Amino acid sequence: MFLALHEMGRARGRFGLLIGAVGLLVFLILTQQAIQNGLITGFVGAIRQQSAPVLVYSVDGQRTLQGSVINPGLEATIRAVAGVTQAGRVGQDTFTVRVDSGAESDAALIGFEHPGLGDPGHLSAGRSPQSPTEAVGSASDFTLGSRVRVVSSGGADPTGPVFTVVGLVKDAQIQVTPTLFVPWAGYEAAVRAANPDATTVLPNVIAVRPASGVSDAALAQRINAASPDADALTRAQAARDTPGVAQVQQSFTLIFVLFGLVVPLVTGLFFLIITFQKAAALTLLRAIGARSGTLVRSLLIQVVLVIVGGIAIGIALFVPLTLVQLGSLTVRFDPVAVLVWSGLLLALGVASAMVAARRVLAIDPLEATTGGGGL
Amino acid sequence: MTLALREMRRRPGRFAIATVILTLIAILLMFLGGLLDGLVASSTGAFRSQQADLLVYSTSSRNSLERSRITPEVRQQVETVPGVARVGGLGSVQLGGRVPGRGPRDLVPTVLFGYELASRGLPAMPPAMGTVYADDSLRASNVTIGTTIHLGPARSAVTVAGFVSDTRYSGQGTLWGSLDTWRQVLNANRPDARVGPGVVQALVVRSGPGGTTGLPARIGQATGGAATALTIAQAIDALPGVAQQRSVFNQIIGVTVVIAVVVVALFFALLTVERTALYGVLKAIGSSSRTLFAGVVLQAVIVALIASLIGIVASLVLDALIPPGTIPFVATPVRLAASAVILVVAAVIGCTFSLRRVLRIDPAAAIGGTP
Repeated sequence: MFLALHEMGRARGRFGLLIGAVGLLVFLILTQQAIQNGLITGFVGAIRQQSAPVLVYSVDGQRTLQGSVINPGLEATIRAVAGVTQAGRVGQDTFTVRVDSGAESDAALIGFEHPGLGDPGHLSAGRSPQSPTEAVGSASDFTLGSRVRVVSSGGADPTGPVFTVVGLVKDAQIQVTPTLFVPWAGYEAAVRAANPDATTVLPNVIAVRPASGVSDAALAQRINAASPDADALTRAQAARDTPGVAQVQQSFTLIFVLFGLVVPLVTGLFFLIITFQKAAALTLLRAIGARSGTLVRSLLIQVVLVIVGGIAIGIALFVPLTLVQLGSLTVRFDPVAVLVWSGLLLALGVASAMVAARRVLAIDPLEATTGGGGL
Repeated sequence: MTLALREMRRRPGRFAIATVILTLIAILLMFLGGLLDGLVASSTGAFRSQQADLLVYSTSSRNSLERSRITPEVRQQVETVPGVARVGGLGSVQLGGRVPGRGPRDLVPTVLFGYELASRGLPAMPPAMGTVYADDSLRASNVTIGTTIHLGPARSAVTVAGFVSDTRYSGQGTLWGSLDTWRQVLNANRPDARVGPGVVQALVVRSGPGGTTGLPARIGQATGGAATALTIAQAIDALPGVAQQRSVFNQIIGVTVVIAVVVVALFFALLTVERTALYGVLKAIGSSSRTLFAGVVLQAVIVALIASLIGIVASLVLDALIPPGTIPFVATPVRLAASAVILVVAAVIGCTFSLRRVLRIDPAAAIGGTP
């Protein structure tokens, strides 16, 4: 322990560089993990947070909320399926809005027909809408009492409908856009204000609730069997299968694997070279009675201190990033992810030092008497 | 120099681990860059292929093609603006396409564009009603010349007359037809987004001999602020996510380059420490610090070049192996070359940290004499 710390104290430059490199790598890994989580939550958070256990898309929608359109015939078929106890329209579109007296911005509106079926399940503040002009907003983008005006393109409502935010819900964006949940009548008014040429406002999906004794998955199967144009998904499936989610996960997984390999390789290389450089001194120590276990322990203490130091620096760099909003993206400090990555990198770092440890164990004290000491 | 090269030839093992680490970093740089290029290319092809100077949106749409609506009156105002040579309408709708030979639930995501002014590769005259040109990425979905694709819940039929390249939009393959085809398909499938007669989503503007200087402002003025004109580059940046993707990926690439600098610095600092006595001897027999340091730089450059070369091969293999429609990765020569140059520069910067140590070596002290 004394030797390990003493050596680190005397070679602050090289150990500092290594700790800095590991710190930067940890920072990058944690940041990208947080960006991945933030992106996926931003893409499909609203689907996860809405209250309907089953969502029925049209096959043509390709599992995209905004791309799906349910025509009246398909809606009637869905409502008639045995096991559907309640069904309600859900619509989604993106609009140009003005929040309070601010500049124009984008907002996604999700219209729901029935409370408890497509509206957010658990509010973080406020209450549910009780009139067509009230809304629940994504908590990272709106505040209670905000007034959101949909910018009109002319037509019957040249000023556009105004929604008052009466409730907030966390992690409820869609398409990484500030999101409002509004009653169906309010949603219809918004669509007609944005596009006066719209003849009919059809739902994008039908939210359904299974009857008692029917599971969500079983109901989805029954609906899909009832019509080749219906694509019924449970809430979790709908979030997971939204186009783009799997690609984001695959891309980030590859990046994580590459970064995860760089950390132990850098650490392993460093300690291997250090061990080579100290060959003569280590041989001498062994010749005067130092046990190989003591020397390996000293090496491992240094490895652990370097990795832990790097992790501490990485976390210290990462924390300030989680305190600010990156555009519409929420980058959050996830203690579980931090712990998992810390444990994994520590284990990989220690494992990578095994090559150096093997060299230490192979030292022959007799070499000291022959003027050798090379490894 | 000869000494540096000879050392690498005789003791390649000494440089192997650094090469492996730099190779991983090279692959990371190229993968991140290729991912960014793939994402951007699949979102912006339809705009990059435009043979025009400006795209005009309705101001209330905040530069979103899908939300924009240009009425015939606004179009007329734009056409009369001095400096505007030609104006064409543009419209789009994203719909699932049913391609013969695929299952009833196995739809191909497509974007149907209606155009008047041809973009690169399209015939100057838009094809007849119900006929379209397809982006060649749709070939992977069994689309060939003569294929009839049924679009959207209304099963609107369009027949493919030919192919164009690099015109994807929003990550999807595109179909290019006349404005009438687009309007009919849109109104049949998306009643909430339908457009009236003569209405388009955007205008494609070709400027006159005077160029685009001041033209966007004049268009804004002529339409009383109802329309906003953007250059093609601005319109690409305004596409959802494009600017954000570029910013995030470039930051990650930047930090990765810093890591490459640190790794090279660390490795060559350790090598220099190890060679202190040797450098002392070399200095004692007349070698200059400049020669010794040039040897270090040469070794760093060679290590970086080998790593880059392996990285390039790995990226090309990855590009060939990744199935279409999964990870949007594309390995372009420009990106691969740029990544290699960045890595070599990072290696040179990294090994300059050893310069001070080389300069400080006292030949007398290094070989055991009294300074």
